[in-house]
Amino acid sequence: MEYLLHILILIGIYVILSVSLNLIVGYSGLLSIAHAAFYGVGAYVAALLALKFHSPFLANIACAIILSGLLGAIMGIPSLRIRDDYFAIATFAFQVITFSIMNNWVSFTGGPMGLPGIPQPAIFGWQINSHYEFLFLISLLCIITVWISHKIVTSPFGRVLKAIREDEIFAQAMGKNVASYKVLIFVIGAGMASVAGVMYAYYISFIDPTSFTIMESIFIISIVIIGGAGNIWGSVLGAAVLVILPEALRFLGMPSSIAANMRQIIYGALLVIFMLFRPQGFIGEYSFKK
Amino acid sequence: MLVAIGFAIVFRATRFFHFAHGIVFTAGAYFTFLFKAWLGFPLFFSILLAIPLTTLLGCLMEVIVYLPLRRKGSSSLVFLLASLGMYIVLQNVISMMFGDDTKTIRSGLVKEGLNVFGARITPIEILIICVSVVLVVTVTLLLKKTKMGNAMRAVANDIELASVSGIDSDRVILLTFAIASTLAGIAGILVALDVDMTPTMGMNALMMGVVAVIVGGVGSIPGVALAALLLGIAQHLGVWFISSQWQDAIAFVILLIFLLFRPQGFLGKKVKKATL
Repeated sequence: MEYLLHILILIGIYVILSVSLNLIVGYSGLLSIAHAAFYGVGAYVAALLALKFHSPFLANIACAIILSGLLGAIMGIPSLRIRDDYFAIATFAFQVITFSIMNNWVSFTGGPMGLPGIPQPAIFGWQINSHYEFLFLISLLCIITVWISHKIVTSPFGRVLKAIREDEIFAQAMGKNVASYKVLIFVIGAGMASVAGVMYAYYISFIDPTSFTIMESIFIISIVIIGGAGNIWGSVLGAAVLVILPEALRFLGMPSSIAANMRQIIYGALLVIFMLFRPQGFIGEYSFKK
Repeated sequence: MLVAIGFAIVFRATRFFHFAHGIVFTAGAYFTFLFKAWLGFPLFFSILLAIPLTTLLGCLMEVIVYLPLRRKGSSSLVFLLASLGMYIVLQNVISMMFGDDTKTIRSGLVKEGLNVFGARITPIEILIICVSVVLVVTVTLLLKKTKMGNAMRAVANDIELASVSGIDSDRVILLTFAIASTLAGIAGILVALDVDMTPTMGMNALMMGVVAVIVGGVGSIPGVALAALLLGIAQHLGVWFISSQWQDAIAFVILLIFLLFRPQGFLGKKVKKATL
């Protein structure tokens, strides 16, 4: 039962991550390979605040969102000047630099040793310590994320984002301020990703830089793409499938040393296969056509 | 540097970021290891066998994945993602087969380096430098002087126009992959001779390759070679002032600066802004 709850909690975390990345990749057409960086920033902000200042959970979440959002704005700025794969490479650079800071600024982030002993969260005296309570909290946050994302993409704001994705110059010609839309969606996406990071830090109670590498970013992208870019429910579905699939390998009696590699092989292969035969994913609407 | 140049040739011909190039580099080293340690061939012979295999690997990627994608007219982002996927699959295949630990193909003890202008250089490093220079010159000449090089540049410039003029663009691109993968394979073997191998070595080499290509200017092979050189110097100078762990960060800060302010690199031709 514990194990089942653990899987559900992981799915929850990845739902938040992939839905927020979908806003950036699927709806705005900005391929970002830096989502794990925002995820990591959220985790580190929460962990450092909780360990050094013993500040309450809600305050930490707020700080993480604000800081990650700021970084998101910084990341969004290159998107104004460069496009497509050049932009993807810029986010790639951003990801590497963030990882480098987490890994090397030992006095502040603990470096490769990570930050152990993150306390359990409490909201107004409600101490969250069992898996059930965590699952409840994660589900709540997932619902909020999906609801906000749904509101965004069905609003006029979301329509402008899609217009930018399909034809940027046209959107501009219609009098839309393309620059501010792009930066804003990055702020929103980064903020949401940091919430997932905060939850991860509190749930595992230990973080180290290896959880927030470029591979993690690629994993989140795979979820978005395989589920379907430009469709929120696609990301929810993708997160569930890609988290459960490797776990199924365990029951096939695969030793854990191979299982870790198998997990990556599976999502790497899925990525290639989907690109070849169905670039829009299971139920997506955007297939990176220009 | 060789990785950067191979990457640059592919990028020029096909206009997308061939991430899986990094794994070809790793594969070169591991093929050599396979022949030498598992099958017991002598080192020189293993290297000779490994190089064509890396060429083949690069060509297979083109034929199995990229060619169908190109036929469907996919955008460069699709290529990039497919390439990332291939990289992940192959890297994990390698670490499953050989394990994650460091493997070596060096024989004998590490020799004391020679003194050249006050810097210590091992014989193998001299070999790396020599081979790189020879290959860079060869590839540059190949691209500039031969008919095939002309065709490659034509395809890089405008694939449709090249096809109209009777150039078999698919074959030319396949050839491009073959050359680039051979270069990567050789680079991988050389690096493995110098500092051993791990399954993730390709990622690092590739990242430096990407940085060198963008900083040096897409489409300018001397520019890329120069950038790779400068990048190496900048990273090592950086080590004098701050610790060596920040090498990657330094490289990527340079990359970001270039992407933002001079996306054509310092020797490249001006890129079209917003090719829509």
